[in-house]
Amino acid sequence: MSPVIQLALAVGEPAAPPAAGPARGPVPVPLTGAAAVAAAAREAGIAAIRLLDGVAAGHVLDPTVVAAYLAGLHDGLHDGLHAGLGYIAEVPTTHNAPYNTARRVLSLDRATGGLAGVALRAGGSDEVSQATAPGPHAAGPAARWSEYAHVLTRLWESFPRAALIGDQEAGVVVDDALVRPVDHEGAFYRVAGPLDGPSSAQGRPVVVADLGDPDVLDVTAVARSADVVVAGRERAAGADAALTEALRRAGRSRKEVALLGRVEIAGDDLGPGDAATAATLAGELRDWAREHRLDGFELVPTGGADAVIAAIRALTPLLTDTAGSPASPRPLTLRAALSLPDPAAVAA
Amino acid sequence: MSRRLHLNVNILNAGVFGGSWRFPGTDGTASYTIEHYTSIAKRAEQAKLDAVFLADGPSLDPQIRHRTANNLEPTTVLARIAAQTERIGLIGTLSSSYNDPVELARRLGDLDYVSGGRFGWNVVTTAGAVAARNFGRTSEPGHALRYRRAAEFTEQVVAAWAARTALVSSQGRPVVVQAGGSSDGRRLASRVGEVIFSADQDIEHARAFRAEIRAGAAAFGRRPEDVVVLPGLSTVVGGTEAEARARRELLDEILPREYARGRLAGQLGISLDGLSDDEPIPPELLVAPDEAGGSQTFYRMVKAIIETERPTLGRLLKKLSGGGGHRIVVGTPEQIADDIELWFRTGAADGFNVMPDVLPSGFDDFAGHVVPELRRRGLFRTDYEGTTLRDHLGLGLPDAGPYELRPLEPAL
Repeated sequence: MSPVIQLALAVGEPAAPPAAGPARGPVPVPLTGAAAVAAAAREAGIAAIRLLDGVAAGHVLDPTVVAAYLAGLHDGLHDGLHAGLGYIAEVPTTHNAPYNTARRVLSLDRATGGLAGVALRAGGSDEVSQATAPGPHAAGPAARWSEYAHVLTRLWESFPRAALIGDQEAGVVVDDALVRPVDHEGAFYRVAGPLDGPSSAQGRPVVVADLGDPDVLDVTAVARSADVVVAGRERAAGADAALTEALRRAGRSRKEVALLGRVEIAGDDLGPGDAATAATLAGELRDWAREHRLDGFELVPTGGADAVIAAIRALTPLLTDTAGSPASPRPLTLRAALSLPDPAAVAA
Repeated sequence: MSRRLHLNVNILNAGVFGGSWRFPGTDGTASYTIEHYTSIAKRAEQAKLDAVFLADGPSLDPQIRHRTANNLEPTTVLARIAAQTERIGLIGTLSSSYNDPVELARRLGDLDYVSGGRFGWNVVTTAGAVAARNFGRTSEPGHALRYRRAAEFTEQVVAAWAARTALVSSQGRPVVVQAGGSSDGRRLASRVGEVIFSADQDIEHARAFRAEIRAGAAAFGRRPEDVVVLPGLSTVVGGTEAEARARRELLDEILPREYARGRLAGQLGISLDGLSDDEPIPPELLVAPDEAGGSQTFYRMVKAIIETERPTLGRLLKKLSGGGGHRIVVGTPEQIADDIELWFRTGAADGFNVMPDVLPSGFDDFAGHVVPELRRRGLFRTDYEGTTLRDHLGLGLPDAGPYELRPLEPAL
């Protein structure tokens, strides 16, 4: 199976360059540059753009807003060869009540025809939930992440698509017997549900868990709800085995989750004249993926829009098996692009 | 410069009437697709309207079996509309009760930036136990608390926008829209509202309301012209008066009955069980508006109708037609333009938040026939003169505050 590629991108305004040395990590790309990056990513066969939140090197625009905007710009390309690029918005638990996050991400997923996901970042509470939080908060961000992600997946199933009937003759919009509250009561949140809109074309939005950010999540915490797990260089070794075991304990199979290796690509390393550098790097990465049984890569280029586009164009064809083959139609949903099966129903 | 009429279209899912989604020739579930909203927004931009308006609440309407409801989160819808349009303003409703002000200020400020300065925030408080239960509560917060929190919340958000130094939008910061008709709501409107989305059946009352809001704004040190009052207006347009009336009759016929009774009972906070359609509603069932829990604006309006007209239940349901109590005008494009002109010229409104009977067809009729008639009368713009929502509304960028930021009270 060809490796899956996800691109990490921050969109916003770079900070003024520091006096000494370049900033570490991704630099925000302006909105216009982001549109060009998205077009290049789609052309290169990248599955999804993960829109980062809160990077060190500048001010980042809200990823859910940027995802909705960029996906809207390319609406006209929705049919044919260049159809649907996925968008994964980073959303922290901090400052976001789960019901609001669930609605926003599902709205995005429905608007894109099933091409959206959320990279849920571990963090703290929000002002609304805090006021009635059921228990004390000693358990920490990993436990909060698990509960939060579980609430999201349950809410996303609370109003099945099949319930939307629209029988004008009978005067029935929704078969409300199929719409069920979730009545979640956990250590951090109490959420009744159901959501106000039906589930999406891909069943439910994709949940991305990043084991390196902010370094509090482990495979056990994410096993119940994650569809994609991202591991950095230092965490990739052994991740497959640990994830397989954690998924087994959660009643899931390794096939239900894509494990991606995170790769930072520095500045202007991969310009048009650097074909040899790109080939060497791609070879190393493919070896790395084989060795650690990774399903693909999350590319994190650290330059501006031009450098990001150059990196995508130079590297992506060398990492996937599609180089030189006739363009095949893109998968219709993000789950399909990530080679994930339809999601199994979530147990309460 | 002479006063200019302002027009928004409220894309209230399938239309403002309870039976809109059943209207012949209408796709009953179109309002569950994003294209419904983007295509109406494009049409509104062609008609040079000030803005599209999205109502919202963070819950599933318990009446969902019988009528379509809002079902897409406004900031994601408006960001997509922003990508596919260039000028039309984008007003979204977001709850002050159930959002974290830090997150909301950032997201809405970013949407304003991304849209090129076209965003307006309709500040609402969220009533009802159904929404409360989605946020860890068991019952709705009290009316006074909700409005106290809304004032504190809005001031925090506006202060956060004013403090931005990066990613500042072309209009400086979003426009603050406010809708409450209660005494608490009117005070909030006078203090921070730039666009007031009101609900009024009666032109005298509307004139008094607008005068009160403007005087209240002046009392807070603001200029009265920095507040734009836009009553909701449900429109039923026909090529002839008879056609319009027939359309209205048809909307009554296709109104799901269970929906109409259930909604009215919910609005009034009383039980209508056992009351038949041909019995009058006993006025003693109704408490004073400030003691009513839910939306006081609609409560007041419905109570006034019951007290002055003494309608039977069936007649009242027909009059409201499941539309939630906004004023309904039925007629030819000329008649509707006459009504709009009268309200505008006599100080009852600065324009309207137009709520077409059926979407998209009712809006197509409004944009295609009523707007050109208003233009012929020199009341409405022939093209945009600026690029931002503040430009369209003739609003400058007033100083933000200074506010005394107080600790926010949770909506409990």
